[in-house]
Amino acid sequence: MNKNKFSNGWMGRRLRIDMTNSKFEIEELSVEYCKKWIGGRGFNSDVVYHETREGMDPFDPDNPICIASGVLSGTFAPSSGRTVVSARSPHTCSIMGTNMHGHGDTNMGGGFGPALKYAGYDQVIVKGKAKNPVYLLINDDDIEFRDAGHLWGLGSKKTTIKILEELDDPDIVVMVIGPAGENLIKFACVLNNFSSAGGRTGMGAIMGSKNLKAIVLKGSNPVNIGNPEEFKKLCWDLRDKIHNAPAAIKHGKLGSLELFDGGNSIGISAHKNCSTGYMKDIEKIYDSSKWAKNFLFRRKSCWSCPVSCGRYTYIKEGKYAGFHCGGPEMESLCNLGPRIDSSDVAGVTVLCGIVNELGIDSISAGAALSWTMEAFEKGYITEKDTGGIRLEWGDIEGSLKVLNMIANREGFGDILAEGTIRAAEILGVGMDIVPHCRGLEHISVDPRIALGFSLGYAMSTRGSDHLKNYSCLEFPGLAVKNKDQLKEALSSKTLKKFWKNFPEQMYKIDTKPELCTWSEKNKCVSDLVGCCCDPIASWGDAGTWKEAYAPLVKTVSGVGLSDDDIFEAAERTIAIERAHWLREGSAKQDDTHIDRYFDETVHDGPYKGMKLDRKEWEWAQKEYYKQHGWDEDGFITPEKAEELGIQEIIPDMKSGKKIYKKWLKEQKINK
Amino acid sequence: MAQETNKKVIVIDPDKCTGCHSCEMACSIKHFDVCGSGYSRIRIHEFRDVNTFIPIMCQACEDAICIKVCPVNARVRQENGAVVTDEERCIGCKACINSCPFGAVMINPVTEKTMSCDLCMEDELGPWCVKACTMQKALQFVNVQDSVKARGRNWTKLIKDEFSPSLKEDEDSDENYGYGFDLTNK
Repeated sequence: MNKNKFSNGWMGRRLRIDMTNSKFEIEELSVEYCKKWIGGRGFNSDVVYHETREGMDPFDPDNPICIASGVLSGTFAPSSGRTVVSARSPHTCSIMGTNMHGHGDTNMGGGFGPALKYAGYDQVIVKGKAKNPVYLLINDDDIEFRDAGHLWGLGSKKTTIKILEELDDPDIVVMVIGPAGENLIKFACVLNNFSSAGGRTGMGAIMGSKNLKAIVLKGSNPVNIGNPEEFKKLCWDLRDKIHNAPAAIKHGKLGSLELFDGGNSIGISAHKNCSTGYMKDIEKIYDSSKWAKNFLFRRKSCWSCPVSCGRYTYIKEGKYAGFHCGGPEMESLCNLGPRIDSSDVAGVTVLCGIVNELGIDSISAGAALSWTMEAFEKGYITEKDTGGIRLEWGDIEGSLKVLNMIANREGFGDILAEGTIRAAEILGVGMDIVPHCRGLEHISVDPRIALGFSLGYAMSTRGSDHLKNYSCLEFPGLAVKNKDQLKEALSSKTLKKFWKNFPEQMYKIDTKPELCTWSEKNKCVSDLVGCCCDPIASWGDAGTWKEAYAPLVKTVSGVGLSDDDIFEAAERTIAIERAHWLREGSAKQDDTHIDRYFDETVHDGPYKGMKLDRKEWEWAQKEYYKQHGWDEDGFITPEKAEELGIQEIIPDMKSGKKIYKKWLKEQKINK
Repeated sequence: MAQETNKKVIVIDPDKCTGCHSCEMACSIKHFDVCGSGYSRIRIHEFRDVNTFIPIMCQACEDAICIKVCPVNARVRQENGAVVTDEERCIGCKACINSCPFGAVMINPVTEKTMSCDLCMEDELGPWCVKACTMQKALQFVNVQDSVKARGRNWTKLIKDEFSPSLKEDEDSDENYGYGFDLTNK
């Protein structure tokens, strides 16, 4: 019945593609390996660490781009449609130099991960560089390198439609890059199923650098289940919880845009290049019900997800009448709207569609645009620098023009295409107003307000990002609803502190190192198993990710994994990603925010006057390292490495520390 | 006759389908203990470029062509109204597949004979695909008479909106599900 007899849950194989020689190899995975890394982000981070080297250029053909599904992908487990794409990132960098790179990964919805398993693989690793543009067709064990010359230069949607027509099979799943990926824009994204984008850290550029326009999947294998009766029961239990959770119902109805309802009360605005921390009336302007009334054509969903938080936009009237596209989701809308100080919701919605078509990460695109606007406002740059273009706050037309210039690397766009931090470096101005950690620009939650998120941005292993360290429990409304989870996350002493200061604890850092460490591992579980964090997220009223997914992993795999094994795999994954940075010498010096957030206060609103405190931050860093069992500079100790079964990183940690110390010394001399 | 009108059927509303394929996953694991679209008796046909998804499954036609064309009388009607393949008799000629106006008869990937929706027999959860669609309600298991009435009602609602002014704004309730942090109390 099944071609694949390896085991249950996993397909037990990975596909290695050599683009240079148009060859492929199927590699069998051992049960031990699968148990060690669980899957998804775990598999990817292992390969990315071990198959790259210190100082490697991300566009080196040997940089492996890994695409992995999780152990639950493609099953009846709810929301099991996520895919992780990882490689050494061209976008992220260090304080030590913008030409220094580290770990990068991105997580996308859609249906690529499940389709990969139906094709018989847990992971695809692509290396090398094709002479001419090609796209890959993976049809179970038949791998075809097909010419993509006629697709080169096309937008993501057009490319997908052309491939669907060409192969004449509506059931295939297509992952593509847009012109931005082809032109090696440092923040180019990958997209599957038309509009499910893996945006962050420039994975699209890595595909482009390999001359790989698309990967197409066509599979006929089912996913086997170790203990089907138990698995069915657990899946129904979890699904019933989601079906009945008011938060999940609301999330499905209004999409992630409903997070705007939290708006200023939790510091979601990204207003004016993430500088003000407050946008007047953001809850009203970007009201999710109003958005749905005006623009929602029909909802869409990722694979096997009952929630369906995806949107499909159709603009009926006005300037953009007739425009339709997949999306947007909340971060895209926020980073292309309030971030550039625009209240033109229709216009911003169009921008969200355009960035997908061009294949650019919406968050970094918003960052580049808003940085340019602020630089103009402050007089850092003039029309001379931009070739005559002037971007003012809220300028949708100008933004559209600049986005096209970025994707095609024309004029000023060529500079912005390097990523905001490098653009500032090239122009020699405005490094101080690039809101970033490790070169990756912030998302919408202001780092001066919700300090758990703030610490999470700085400690994230792919640069500033909330999804590595989703410490939602710091938000008062959620804390009240999830007291049990807090009990698990915090020690009794910290828990007491938490409730003593409640609800002001949100903007106090004293409980955050513990909360962040726990959330980070907990969130990682969802990345390992290939499931979405949203329906089960703390606000989903359906328990934590570990609670929800660990029993499913046990029954689907049938290889005797314990909860602790899964949590340890999460810790191991975080450690190996961190080690990728540490071997470059990037440690404590990069685990921080830009000076702006320490010096400049939130401009207005309920949190007016807040800023980060250097002393407190220093304490939080130390405490966070302690929680993880790392040393005081944030390096993974040999003992910890051995405990996690990744002793091979020990020599790299030693050499990394040397680079770090040398850099510190130079800093002191320069001072 | 009374028994006939009390019959329950699965009613499909493609407008509500969001293309999540949960129904396929439910169907395949229910019948085969594995997960995969090729093992499902319901299939979602995707038109993603216009975000349209249409579920296709056996409609258990009253005057079922598949029953008529089967040369070995293997297409049979169950007591619950579903039309299924009797695998003992089926010779796998696929005449039912070729004659079905919906393309709703599938090939059983294990036996290579044919298969179609059996309404999950007498499972206490009811048809699994319907349960998996609880949140979207693109699939509903309802009394056949009620379904007809509901269709008419939906259609007349559209007409009503066209021809009568809305008397009150249908505002969404302002329940705070998420963060629940009331700033005014601070």
